Amino acid sequence: MKGDKIYIYLFLTPAFIITGIFLYYPFVENILQSFYKTDGFFNSTFVGLDNYIRLLNDEIAKTALFNSLELMLYVTIFQVGIALVLAIMVDSISKGSGFFRTTFFFPIVISGAAIGLLFTLIYNYRNGLLNEMLVNLGFERILWLTEQSSLYMVAIPTIWNYVGFYFVILLTAIQKIPNDFYEAAKLEGITGIQKMFRLTIPLIVSDLKTCIVLAITGTLKIFELVYIITRGGPGNSSEVLGTYMYQKAFGDTAMGYGATLAVLIVILGLTLAFITNKLLQKEEVTY
Amino acid sequence: MKKTKWSLLLGLLFLVIGLVACGNEETDSSSEDTPSDNGEETEVEEVDLRVVTTMAGTDPAGEVFQEVLDDFENENPHISIENDSQSADAGTIRTKVNTDFSSDNEPDIMFYFNTVDAEGIIEEGKVVNLEEAEGIDLSGFNSMLEQQRHSDGNIYAAPQSGFYEGLFVNEKLFKEHGIEIPTTWEQYEKAIEEFAKTDIVPIAASTEDSYYVVEHYILAAGGMESYTLGLEEQDPAWAEGLENIKKHSDMGAFTPDAGTIDLALAQELFKQEQAAMIFEGSWFWGQLEEVGMGEDVTVLPMPVYADGGETGELVGGASQGWFVSTKSYEDENKKDAVVDLFNHLTSEETILKIAGATGQPPAKGELTDLPEYLKAGHDLVSDAPAVALPINDRINPEAFTHMRTSVPAIISGDKTGEEVLERAQKMAE
Repeated sequence: MKGDKIYIYLFLTPAFIITGIFLYYPFVENILQSFYKTDGFFNSTFVGLDNYIRLLNDEIAKTALFNSLELMLYVTIFQVGIALVLAIMVDSISKGSGFFRTTFFFPIVISGAAIGLLFTLIYNYRNGLLNEMLVNLGFERILWLTEQSSLYMVAIPTIWNYVGFYFVILLTAIQKIPNDFYEAAKLEGITGIQKMFRLTIPLIVSDLKTCIVLAITGTLKIFELVYIITRGGPGNSSEVLGTYMYQKAFGDTAMGYGATLAVLIVILGLTLAFITNKLLQKEEVTY
Repeated sequence: MKKTKWSLLLGLLFLVIGLVACGNEETDSSSEDTPSDNGEETEVEEVDLRVVTTMAGTDPAGEVFQEVLDDFENENPHISIENDSQSADAGTIRTKVNTDFSSDNEPDIMFYFNTVDAEGIIEEGKVVNLEEAEGIDLSGFNSMLEQQRHSDGNIYAAPQSGFYEGLFVNEKLFKEHGIEIPTTWEQYEKAIEEFAKTDIVPIAASTEDSYYVVEHYILAAGGMESYTLGLEEQDPAWAEGLENIKKHSDMGAFTPDAGTIDLALAQELFKQEQAAMIFEGSWFWGQLEEVGMGEDVTVLPMPVYADGGETGELVGGASQGWFVSTKSYEDENKKDAVVDLFNHLTSEETILKIAGATGQPPAKGELTDLPEYLKAGHDLVSDAPAVALPINDRINPEAFTHMRTSVPAIISGDKTGEEVLERAQKMAE
């Protein structure tokens, strides 16, 4: 066993080097950068915790934080929820499951930028798909992206984009459940709904947990859909941490403050992943 | 077992050595291409140059610029040029240039904003003072060259062409609806009022990306004297200008989704004749010509109502120029090629060729046989009592972003113009 250690180091070294160079080194640099006030890319002044104090008093950052959390709630509930329902439904049909599997998975292969553009054109007030349909049916145009609705409108394509991903994970998990379980339950006279809640879901709970953690941490990375569909507007109403960080770091060349926002995103992601793992801790099901 | 282990390790070691050796070979081969110090070279050395400009994407100058580079490469077969241009539309060119310069990967020549955006690059000595650079030809430029002079007295950028911003008006739609072309503030408000009653959007604008709207409304409210002040002056005309945007929005000036559309979608509204007016720059003519609208459109100066101001005052100038990076200029292998390319790009022939594609006033010579609508734009500049650069070219980027992205909040009544400006000033500090 001892001799195998050399293999462990040997095979782990490239991964360590790569993550070290491309993940940990930039992250440490990012933390250092968050203590500087940058004017463009060339003038940096050490300001201590000023950027963090600014963050605490920044109303837009607060809006972006709450929007990110709100979006996380919708995304987690609906992405994983819809994926679960679809997976159970597809698993229970005997014909055409291949078609549904492909259809539901399809949005995953479309890039976020393309989906963003698609929904921009769907929501557009003057020439958008929805309003054109309404006008043709004799109704008035509706302003789909308002300060009140913009976050929901962004949540819709975000959910649609990734439902297929969780659907495939959950469908695979469901199909791994041995048929004996269902047969035994059938003999006991189990109904469809009972089968779902008392058998299927408890048996795939570890996969569900993975999906929920992925959905929660994935939401913090949402950027392109918001950036393309609403640009964080109107009036910052759909601003999320990703778009605000991009605006500060690259739009306004305030790299130091952008780095501070990035630190917040990382801390938030780690905390949420940790909390979710703790809350969902349950004995693994084996069969 | 142990033997296999060591064979595997040895195999990996050879693989790594092999890879390193290959890498070195490449370095060796490239070093063969570089001239030796003893000056015994007889053959012309191969030189690779990289050029970054904003002539890409929807910019009609992009194609012409590539032709210019191709011509230069044909005349100088030993020089190959990588055209690394990127559209200026989304502002990402700024990030690209800043990243390139701060990571020691600067382009050899670039066409970039000689404004607050280039401050850091200039202060770091990353670009050369063109007046002192040997071989650089700065003769034949018109007054636009002098506009490039930095506060330290040096010239770091040579202009290509000037630009102007103004109110682009679809004359056809005005005629069809019997509305007077707005040359005064009252006519402008009347036009908004009248078009708002129709299915035509009075002004195509993105209030989130409200660069041109903000500038022109401040100009209208304060005239050039107020417009050219800094944020720190907290001139009340600036707040008044911002409040006027709200006033006009309440009159129905913009499309209801102006808070979420971007500039490109706003331009589409105008190009599809669904909007009667748009605030744009002279580069917009290229797009209008592409859709065959040039003849139907005319450009007007923003009607100024401020005391002491005068309609005709313009936002414009020559804010972009050709820079030569110090690193390339000091590289003996590249210096001649860089100087030759710079002189080629800033020759009257090239400047006129590129300006011909965009219809913008050239920095050398004059465009002839211009269509009437383009000529009207050039006349606007020559007749202007005063011309000043856009606000975002001279104030802190964060402060300006705050100003323009707060316009939807001003329109909705959540913020006042004064509040927005106070916050912007704090950001600038």
